[in-house]
Amino acid sequence: MSTIRLTTPRRNLAAARPQLRSVSLAGVRSARPGVALVGILTIGALSIALLNLLLHILTSTAVYELADLQHQKRELTTTTQILAEEVDSLASQQNLSNSAQKLGMIANANPVFLSIADQKVFGKPKAALNTDGRVATNLIPNSVMTQTSTNLATTVASTDTVVVKDVANQKAATGQVISNGGAIPASPTH
Amino acid sequence: MTYLTPGDPASRLKKVIGIILVLVVVFAIRLVDLQIIQANAINEKSYEKRAVTRVIPALRGQILDANGKVLAKTVFRYDINAAPSKVGPFTKTVKGESVTISVEQVVAELSTILDMSAADVTAKITGTGEYSQIKKRVDAGSYRKIRDMNVPWLYYDPIAERIYPNGAVAGNLLGFITDSGLMEGLEQRYDKCLAGQDGEETYEKGVDGIKIPSSVITTKEAKPGKNIRLTIDADLQYFTQQVLASTVSYLRADWASAVIIETKTGRILTAAEAPSVDPNDPGKLSADDRRARVFQFAFEPGSTLKTITAATVVDTGMGDPYTKAVVPYSWTVPNSDGYKVTDSHFHPTEQLTLTGVLAESSNTGILEIGKSVDYKVRYQYLEKFGLGSKTSIKFPGEGSGQLNALKDWDGVKKYVSMFGQGVSVTPIQSAMMYQTFGNDGVRLDPVLVDGCEENVEDFKIPETRGGVKVISKEANDQVLAMMERVVEAGPIGRYGAVPGYRIGAKTGTAQIRDPNTGKYAGPYAISYFGVAPIEDPQFVVAVTAYKSRTVGSSLGVATPFKRIMQQVLRAYRVPPSTTKTSDLPLEW
Repeated sequence: MSTIRLTTPRRNLAAARPQLRSVSLAGVRSARPGVALVGILTIGALSIALLNLLLHILTSTAVYELADLQHQKRELTTTTQILAEEVDSLASQQNLSNSAQKLGMIANANPVFLSIADQKVFGKPKAALNTDGRVATNLIPNSVMTQTSTNLATTVASTDTVVVKDVANQKAATGQVISNGGAIPASPTH
Repeated sequence: MTYLTPGDPASRLKKVIGIILVLVVVFAIRLVDLQIIQANAINEKSYEKRAVTRVIPALRGQILDANGKVLAKTVFRYDINAAPSKVGPFTKTVKGESVTISVEQVVAELSTILDMSAADVTAKITGTGEYSQIKKRVDAGSYRKIRDMNVPWLYYDPIAERIYPNGAVAGNLLGFITDSGLMEGLEQRYDKCLAGQDGEETYEKGVDGIKIPSSVITTKEAKPGKNIRLTIDADLQYFTQQVLASTVSYLRADWASAVIIETKTGRILTAAEAPSVDPNDPGKLSADDRRARVFQFAFEPGSTLKTITAATVVDTGMGDPYTKAVVPYSWTVPNSDGYKVTDSHFHPTEQLTLTGVLAESSNTGILEIGKSVDYKVRYQYLEKFGLGSKTSIKFPGEGSGQLNALKDWDGVKKYVSMFGQGVSVTPIQSAMMYQTFGNDGVRLDPVLVDGCEENVEDFKIPETRGGVKVISKEANDQVLAMMERVVEAGPIGRYGAVPGYRIGAKTGTAQIRDPNTGKYAGPYAISYFGVAPIEDPQFVVAVTAYKSRTVGSSLGVATPFKRIMQQVLRAYRVPPSTTKTSDLPLEW
């Protein structure tokens, strides 16, 4: 055993520097603020990352909401277009003319004008005549008139006799409408 | 036996640091290569995989009438397409339950919505291809019904389409746009204003097709087209077209036109014609009938030009409404190799005033009085009345009419131009000649469009431009008085009278020159041009029917004139006249 020990390379133990040395406490004390800084920075970085993630999630939600709203907008735009086309069709002169004709409407060729400023009535009122004022059948084509007024037939049936009566009444009331001496005629409404 | 020895830690540390540094340098080089040198190529490759670019179509602007009624607008239509290779039954959830929809069920529904036969629909979706168009340009309502069926093998392309909600009302003016983009009429004239600029949107999308948040989006905003507002009153235009359509049918004429002008402003309230084209379906009419003849078709006006000759005589001081003329049935043009001018009907020699010449529409009478003015002076007056020049409207294909250079006026033209032969005018030029009489002798530029605006609320009526002083107010008043006598006492003129109103007018029955033989013959171009009310003219109505076959005189358009004038006076609340009518003598 001792032989072995003797063959062990000789070391100058006295000259070897100690492998471990004491750490001065003063040095540890001075490192404490650095640790705190690292901690703050780490927490800060984590907070920023978390906030970023949160914002990202919120933005993602907003984008999906935006996509949904844009879809709704598209749908509403389409609905507006459909309704506008229906209104256009119903408001077209062709449809109005056809409806007026179905209702038996007659344009009065003898209009009477009341001038408020002059307190005068211009023209002589006469009943509308079937011969020259009747609304003509529509002759003007319109291939986008897809909607037409309905339920006019019943209205005509119920008002036919009333129209005749009204004309007769107007004839009788003619004298009341014509103004004499520039005075505004009294309203025949009771 | 070897022993592990601690060795030299310092040198070991140096080696490790050295290796790390080498690795760092290698990675740094690679990083520079990826991030800087190849960056663009890699980015592009990656972007191509995620990026989606879509065109944002810009809507074309609207065309409005004077009251804001929409005459032309753009809407979306949808092409309904199928992928035949993928056609098959599919399942969908209806009220919480999974239901299988067969192909037959889809075909039945499609054929009902698209108004097609089931066989046609089946034929369109049969095959192995990826694309088959079932129907083009389906309206939004039908598209929505089909889309809500949620058929996985159907897909849709939105297409912007121009529609004209009032059909043929002002159709010849509006023009149209073909599928290939060719344009006519006002669509062409104001394309720069109406056309929008398509936008473009590029974004990155995820697997679900939704934009990736904070992804780069390159957007070029779509710029919608601006709008134009016309001076046309669509209701009056419709009424006039109705009258003309029945007139053309009754007269068996080639076509008819009517122009209504506001005399004090030159605004065109109506520029109507029959046949009238429905711009939604222009192919139904021949190319000739699709034109805006009011601006494009010039023809010899005939007797309506006698008013211009009479105005020239009065304004130059060479005569007045009482000027006497001995009027034979026929008159031979001097130095013309026997060119004879006759009146429309035989009569013994008459003693007519200038007023009587207009009322009777005598050719020989107007020659007798008109020749007192030198033809060079008459030529200048014709120019001032607007003959031979296009109007300021610059309508596409607008005609300037024909007023040959003075040096080309031969011996006959010097005379026959007095009653409207040898010169030609478009209906708009004719109407503007008579607008002069309704505006104290000042001819204005006609106005058809109020402007081009982004917001329809911004339209304003433009100020009336100066115009050309053609004749003096005094001369103009005398001309109006003579025109009133045409309506009061003229054999044909009286059929255009509107009860309660003082109207001034002139009739015209123009022979049409055969371009092959050079001879004049029927059927005629018949006209009735008038202004009302005479005491304070507000409107000009100019009606023409070309090649009337059932009525050989202007009588054929007198009643249409009356109906149109009656309507414009009623619609614009012009009170009936309260002043006395002219009593100028017709004979002496």
